[in-house]
Amino acid sequence: MSRPRRPTAPLFLTVVPFVLAAIAGVARAADPGADARPIVLVIHGGAGVIERSRMTSAKEASYRAGLSAALDAGFGVLERGGSSLDAVAAAVRTMEDDPQFNAGLGAVLNHEGDAELDAAIMDGNGPRAGAVAAVLHVKNPIELARLVMEKSPHVLLVAGGAEEFALAQGMPLVPRSYFRTEAREHELEDALRAEKARRGSATGASGGHGGGGTVGAVALDVKGNLAAATSTGGLTNKRQGRVGDSPIIGAGTYASNESCAVSGTGQGEYFIRQVVAYDICALVHYRSLPIAQAMREVIHEKLRRTGGEGGAIGVDPAGNVAMDFNSVGMFRGVRDSRGRREIAMYDDAHY
Amino acid sequence: MHAIAIHGGAGTVPRATLSAEHEGRFRTGLAAALDAGFAVLQHRGSSLDAVAAAVRVLEDDPLFNAGHGAALTRDGAAELDAAIMDGREMRAGAVASVRHVKNPIDLARRVMEKSRHVLLVGSGAEEFALEENFALMPNRYFRTAERVEQLEFEQRGQRVSELVPPGSQGTVGGIGTVGAVALDVEGNLAAATSTGGMTNKRPGRVGDSPIIGAGTYAKNGVCAVSATGHGEYFIRAVAAHHVCAAVEYRGLTLAQAVHELLHDKLHRLGGDGGLIAVDASGQLVLEFTTEGMFRGARHSDGRREIAIY
Repeated sequence: MSRPRRPTAPLFLTVVPFVLAAIAGVARAADPGADARPIVLVIHGGAGVIERSRMTSAKEASYRAGLSAALDAGFGVLERGGSSLDAVAAAVRTMEDDPQFNAGLGAVLNHEGDAELDAAIMDGNGPRAGAVAAVLHVKNPIELARLVMEKSPHVLLVAGGAEEFALAQGMPLVPRSYFRTEAREHELEDALRAEKARRGSATGASGGHGGGGTVGAVALDVKGNLAAATSTGGLTNKRQGRVGDSPIIGAGTYASNESCAVSGTGQGEYFIRQVVAYDICALVHYRSLPIAQAMREVIHEKLRRTGGEGGAIGVDPAGNVAMDFNSVGMFRGVRDSRGRREIAMYDDAHY
Repeated sequence: MHAIAIHGGAGTVPRATLSAEHEGRFRTGLAAALDAGFAVLQHRGSSLDAVAAAVRVLEDDPLFNAGHGAALTRDGAAELDAAIMDGREMRAGAVASVRHVKNPIDLARRVMEKSRHVLLVGSGAEEFALEENFALMPNRYFRTAERVEQLEFEQRGQRVSELVPPGSQGTVGGIGTVGAVALDVEGNLAAATSTGGMTNKRPGRVGDSPIIGAGTYAKNGVCAVSATGHGEYFIRAVAAHHVCAAVEYRGLTLAQAVHELLHDKLHRLGGDGGLIAVDASGQLVLEFTTEGMFRGARHSDGRREIAIY
């Protein structure tokens, strides 16, 4: 008697929308005309060694909550009729502010112990693009990348010049200490110790432990516009000035309304050489491959052949989604107007 | 069979402001680079060595916008970008925003061969250069009287050509960069590009030259491309990879792929420029949508040409 049966109502309230959504989803799937303008958001929080055996349930729940928040922040923009550009920026900003992802606050630290950040955004309508690399004092690099796209004639600004532009745009800078978390400091210490053991010297970092961990988003909005955004701290113990694929248009980030939008994560050097994001879209555009097949070919065949590890997310103008990786796992999530909402991280739930 | 093509930038080359004497100097500079690269190929050297040799000659020539004599940023400094790509294993190296490296193409190659990375920028790239025993140069090494004058013209609001020194009347803007593509006797393709970017650019601005897939790309069996022009458009269009993707995925000839990129895709985006390319069969394409492009090509079948307009 003393235990109120309060769960009933909330449970009912939670279940019913899902049932309705499922019914709607089935109905729409049967009649594609009823859903002529799908909206879709796909996110990733990095690819790498993500194994169930190495994950505690608390950690897993925390990652899920973080991915969930980013997914819903971005999808909320689309639901209100907002642009795919605003949606990917909102999703990425949420993950930049979440210390468990390798971007913005909580980004991995370079050899000097600083978070050195890269980001890019691309509007498939245009297409227009903006990117920044090797910035040390920008709280949300994705917002600076967007300012580069919208307020400068340029696409890519790096290092001090990018921060000068941030100040000129009225964007306040933050101290380097803002980004540093205890967890990342430990990771760097481990990496430095391992490096020292390997070479008998801690100098001359050639950089690079634990690839992946980048965040990204791709979206399709109600007007049919595609967009992609990616943000990262790169590799733990990386050499100062090392730039990976994330801010490189065509490598880690690409969007064109003609073909698709892609955001990548993984060993950036391989993604740059293979021009991964654009190559996926070129296969979609010129070989008329479905996006999932194009991504599979690039990630599992071309990239793997050269020894590159990582993954990517993508969406095409019809709302078809691809999420694929050749690493052990990839933090990822998808939500669309057909009622699909999924969050996953291991490789046992491939799409 | 072996072949090489080079460019020294595309843009506005007003015949009126380019005296016969001046034109002769540009032609001499292009010929020196072309022959330096071709000599490597003739001696059965690699396409990688050939493009590096050609680009290095152009970097050292103050007439061209790369290395010594590069265009200046709004704060009066030379800030250099370069990339090199080996089509054999699709290895690549690039540097951006370096201010003290005499031959950025050599540092790009070192990034490819001696680091695990592809792109290093700013002071981090120069730190790597020092570790690799490169001697750094003071920034004034790069600055020439012509480039200082060009910057002053630009800052007074008179747009000038990056390609040629300003004449008595202000000339219309253009963009200069140097690059080379080559096919060696082993069938390996390579591409290299080096630039000082745009005159009066914002410090930290990086164009397409050091971006693999945009200004520089090489893939054995397909093609090698080096671009020059309005870099931001070439980045958005992923220009160099676009050309190779059109050849590989759609079966276009190299000439068709280049033509479509420049006249259709880039033109639609509003970007002008040019590019040089070579395919696996030794076909050479040098094309531009600007008034002129400093260029040269040489083939083992005996063809040799140097042209501006």
